Amino acid sequence: MPKTLSRWLPLAIVTVAALWLRTRGLALRPMHADEANQAVRAGELLETGRYAYDPRDHHGPLLYYGVLPVAWCRGQGTLAGLDEVTVRLVPALAGTACVLLLGLLAAPLGRWPSLAAAAFLAASPPAVYYSRYFIQETLLAASALAAFVCARQWLREGRARWAGAAGACLGLMLASKESAPLFALAAFAAFLLARAAGGPPLPGRPARGLLAGAAAAIAVTALFYSSFGAHPSGLRDLLGGYGQALARLRGANTGHEKPWWYFLRLFTWWRAGGLVFEEAGFAALVLAGFCAALARGTPLLRWAAAYSGLVLIALSAVPYKTPWHAVDLAPGFALLAAGAVAAPSRTRPGRWAASAAALAVLGMLAFQADRSARAYASDPRNPFAYVHSSPDVLRFRPMAEAALGRSPDGVIRVISEEYWPLPWYFRGLARVGYWDRPPADCDGALVIASADLAGAVRSRLRGAYAESYLGLRPGFVCVVFTPRP
Amino acid sequence: MKHAPVIRLAAAVLALAALASARAEDLVPLKVELPKPLFVGTPRPIKVSNLEPQQDAANRPPVMVPPGTALLSRGKPVTASDSYPVIGELGYLTDGDKSGVEGSYVEFGPGVQWAQVDLGAPARLAAVAVWHFHAEARVYHAVVIQASNDPAFKSGVTTLFNNDDTNADGLGKGTDLAYVETYKGRVVDAKGVVARYVRLYSDGNTSDELNHYTEVEVYGRPVN
Repeated sequence: MPKTLSRWLPLAIVTVAALWLRTRGLALRPMHADEANQAVRAGELLETGRYAYDPRDHHGPLLYYGVLPVAWCRGQGTLAGLDEVTVRLVPALAGTACVLLLGLLAAPLGRWPSLAAAAFLAASPPAVYYSRYFIQETLLAASALAAFVCARQWLREGRARWAGAAGACLGLMLASKESAPLFALAAFAAFLLARAAGGPPLPGRPARGLLAGAAAAIAVTALFYSSFGAHPSGLRDLLGGYGQALARLRGANTGHEKPWWYFLRLFTWWRAGGLVFEEAGFAALVLAGFCAALARGTPLLRWAAAYSGLVLIALSAVPYKTPWHAVDLAPGFALLAAGAVAAPSRTRPGRWAASAAALAVLGMLAFQADRSARAYASDPRNPFAYVHSSPDVLRFRPMAEAALGRSPDGVIRVISEEYWPLPWYFRGLARVGYWDRPPADCDGALVIASADLAGAVRSRLRGAYAESYLGLRPGFVCVVFTPRP
Repeated sequence: MKHAPVIRLAAAVLALAALASARAEDLVPLKVELPKPLFVGTPRPIKVSNLEPQQDAANRPPVMVPPGTALLSRGKPVTASDSYPVIGELGYLTDGDKSGVEGSYVEFGPGVQWAQVDLGAPARLAAVAVWHFHAEARVYHAVVIQASNDPAFKSGVTTLFNNDDTNADGLGKGTDLAYVETYKGRVVDAKGVVARYVRLYSDGNTSDELNHYTEVEVYGRPVN
């Protein structure tokens, strides 16, 4: 076998496996409200070419623009034509790129440990779950890993083009989500900490590289937030977005406040309603890797330990926590676990023991990833299925189509305090309206009301209706009024 | 509160109607032992009175049963369409534990599933009580309760309850009301049908596609 092939084939196989885990059955899980909200915005961009950055809970533009090439490749040009597979392919491809990039980043650990790092990330339950989930987090992780790889190349070779590439990737990070500066700062602080214990010299003329990186970062960020020049005020709005992100992190009654150990629990042992989601073996490897990094780690391992520690402390310290932030921890943890595998590999028994441990942990991770991403993808006991839509949401569209079939001129009324992801499922249907309180005229071809508002809606209906019940998400029941023939 | 007299009047009328339906013997209210209310995590405020207009769970009139009616199902064998439940064991249906906490309910897979209690011998059934899952407000879809002397439920089947308004179970559409699960469960009048087996169907719920049973109780009198 040619040397190049034998060197790259294992990483290619791991990457293909990662792609498979991230793409099979992409459309099966119902759309989460956040996914639906962003998919509708992406569909509007696809259909009209217009996008304006909205700092209120919609994060950066990269996710929406990322849909365009995938939709074009799949022959979709309108919101109505867009489907779940198209939008979820964006994070799925980014998540697969993460695996490849981590394999490259981990190269200094050695051939097999770097492969182990990639494999751990490929099978990581949060990484797999949120690579199939149309939100920004996986794009942020991929951009960050690409930035780290490019920055390391710049440090090794000193060529300004690597610094420029790292800056462009930093721009993509910033275009993903307002929390990007946290990870960039953590990476830089970790670099300083790791270098304090020794490391290779900095490249010559660092100012030139830093300038190239900064210019690229600013250019990419400005392009996306200004909607490629069409909406310059998006850049101003970005500052407001950072203000909102800081306020959210302080966690004043957002409903997402959680204890400081939340992420530790996510990565170790999560039991709910008779189901256990666990990564205890992986967590043990991460801890061992952390200790190995402190004791006699390579510069990369020391950096990974410092970066993971800083990010974990930062995410744990703020009250606002959502499970998708686990995606930001998974690459660093995978590096540390690989470091633990690499540590005893200098002797033959050590290599066997390390290989056995790595395979056992990998198998458990893959099992847990598959059940969380597929079997229990929308189950409220799954820690990653956070405030998830219930499978009932898939029943609304057929009911609406049947209603419009019976009454082509009728209107579909959604009267509820919360109604996402229904606008996604009703995309392309004519005459669908949404009210957060009952209007004077409630009659329609189909009337969907939250349980709280159903009484008021019922009292305003003039026609005769049959009633049935569908869930929007756990604990949120909707009453569906269908006109009697 | 202005409707309270109307509700009381309606309850009284229903109770009188139930009393009037008694044929040869006096009837007494069925006393069902209720588990304590269960709160898991932050309660989600959801008002559900609209699901059963004028007749919420608290004011639901008791099912009237003949004197001497006893609980027949405790500890009786259970079979199900899902022989290997995702969580729990089939025996949980008749073990008397209605607490609703983890370890007290059995979970069947997605889609239409049934569970069946074998009373061991034909009995004159007075009522069937069922608790699906009451740790959270949710509605189970296509709930059908049937009784028969045929364990395969191919002949002599009597439907006691059916809120399957779309015929998802394939047993015919029903007109009974859907209801939100609470710790009070649901008590269904069995109308004195003679049967050895009681089968309960459902097709997922408003929170997930799975089917749960915390407890099933069958009340009646043995047939001599």
